[in-house]
Amino acid sequence: MADQAFEAVVAAHHGEIHRYLARVTRRPSDADDLSQETFLRAYRAHGGLAPGANVRAWLFAIATNLCRNHWRSEARRRRAHEAIGHRDERQDAGGPEMEAELEQASHKIGAIVIALPLKQRLAFTMRKIHELDYDAIGQSLDCSAESARAHVFQALRKIRRGLGDLAIAQVGRGEPSA
Amino acid sequence: MTREFLTCREVEPDLIAVAMDEASPPAAQRVDTHLAGCAECRQELGRYQEIEGAMTGLRRAPAPGSGPTLARAELEHRLADLRTRLVRYGVFESALGPVLIGATEQGVSVVEYLAGRGGAGVKLARRGAEAVEDVARTEGLFRDLTEYLEGRRTRLDWPLDLRLAGSDFQRRVLEATLRLPFGAVASYARIARELGLPKASRAVAQALRHNPLPIVVPCHRVVGSDGDLVGYAGNRIGLKQQLLSLEGIHMKGGGRSPHVDRDAVYYCHLDDTEYCIPTCGTISQQSLGNFIVYASRARAEGAGLAPCTSCRPDLHPLPA
Repeated sequence: MADQAFEAVVAAHHGEIHRYLARVTRRPSDADDLSQETFLRAYRAHGGLAPGANVRAWLFAIATNLCRNHWRSEARRRRAHEAIGHRDERQDAGGPEMEAELEQASHKIGAIVIALPLKQRLAFTMRKIHELDYDAIGQSLDCSAESARAHVFQALRKIRRGLGDLAIAQVGRGEPSA
Repeated sequence: MTREFLTCREVEPDLIAVAMDEASPPAAQRVDTHLAGCAECRQELGRYQEIEGAMTGLRRAPAPGSGPTLARAELEHRLADLRTRLVRYGVFESALGPVLIGATEQGVSVVEYLAGRGGAGVKLARRGAEAVEDVARTEGLFRDLTEYLEGRRTRLDWPLDLRLAGSDFQRRVLEATLRLPFGAVASYARIARELGLPKASRAVAQALRHNPLPIVVPCHRVVGSDGDLVGYAGNRIGLKQQLLSLEGIHMKGGGRSPHVDRDAVYYCHLDDTEYCIPTCGTISQQSLGNFIVYASRARAEGAGLAPCTSCRPDLHPLPA
């Protein structure tokens, strides 16, 4: 059975999928888990992939789906905790870690992006960081290319508002203004 | 060209599109028209273009977190584990009814007669394997099987994965059964003797009852010591009969108790290197457990046997 081909898929795409997930999730360990799960799923399913299929877009779609499911169950868990008056310790543990991350990188844009609603965050990251086309993004998010584009635009608008008068030239270099 | 003049709010999507360099010509035109009369939006466009520029830096910057190296190493580990466990299967409509064919990376690991199309994954899961339907990877196997069932090939030379065998003993029984060539029949007792366990014929029958690879591991070529076609795929003796007919084995007493026609096969005694006709010596009085029988001279000679020098099957062949 020719599974060597899959090793090439991992070699070619794991780094990028991991980077994508690291940008859209809020805990580094989530990116580790979700990127592994993405490729385990892909391995199970790649037999059904059509010969000339766009493997990269397909992997993004799997990763995006996992990310959304993960987000949904996280949200459910948070709500359940709140309902019984618990403070979410795992979330707290992730918080400072993430803050430090952002401080260190001091990417103001990154901070705004991570606070975006999930679909916008995913669409924006796929488009502006990984440069996927809107068709692929739409497929990942189960929506039309047009809606995918609208999510990206919405994200850009929020980034623009979030930056206010902050000099963007500095943002690129990562120096937060006062 | 002073059609409609969009408000700042209305023009913003087009403005973003222009900044991102993906605006359609009409959108670009709308923006131009608006910007000509709006200094504020000219500045806005500059801001969006700066954001666009900053993205280049962000694309090059490493993602937050520890980097993918550790995750990649862990992934390789989990993939290696999954590879040994994952059975890719397809369900196909064969001449014998619906069959499931499944294979791991090591080889074909399961062939199963199904009562219906449902429940395939369930049965595999019960065998402790992780299963995923993958017709693309298994349809080639089904083509081979179809050729076999149509008599266009006599061997299924597939790499096999016998790890779904329940025990070491069962694996040894399956391996001994695999050595029975097309057109040959032996008894459970004969297989037991071959394993050096002459009293284990019941255990052999039990092991073959749970054969994970029927047809491929030809348990249909193993019969009772009196030639009865006992126990197959639950109680589907008809299937066993069909598979043996395909190999040219003559049977008698159809219906509920078919058995190998002892007068219509060639015999090879224990570890003899010659084959005989049924009337040679005391063959007809002996248990089938002492022999491997063959459907034809060609099958016997294909197994490397020579005609017996006393009964001369080469001179007195059985009627075809």
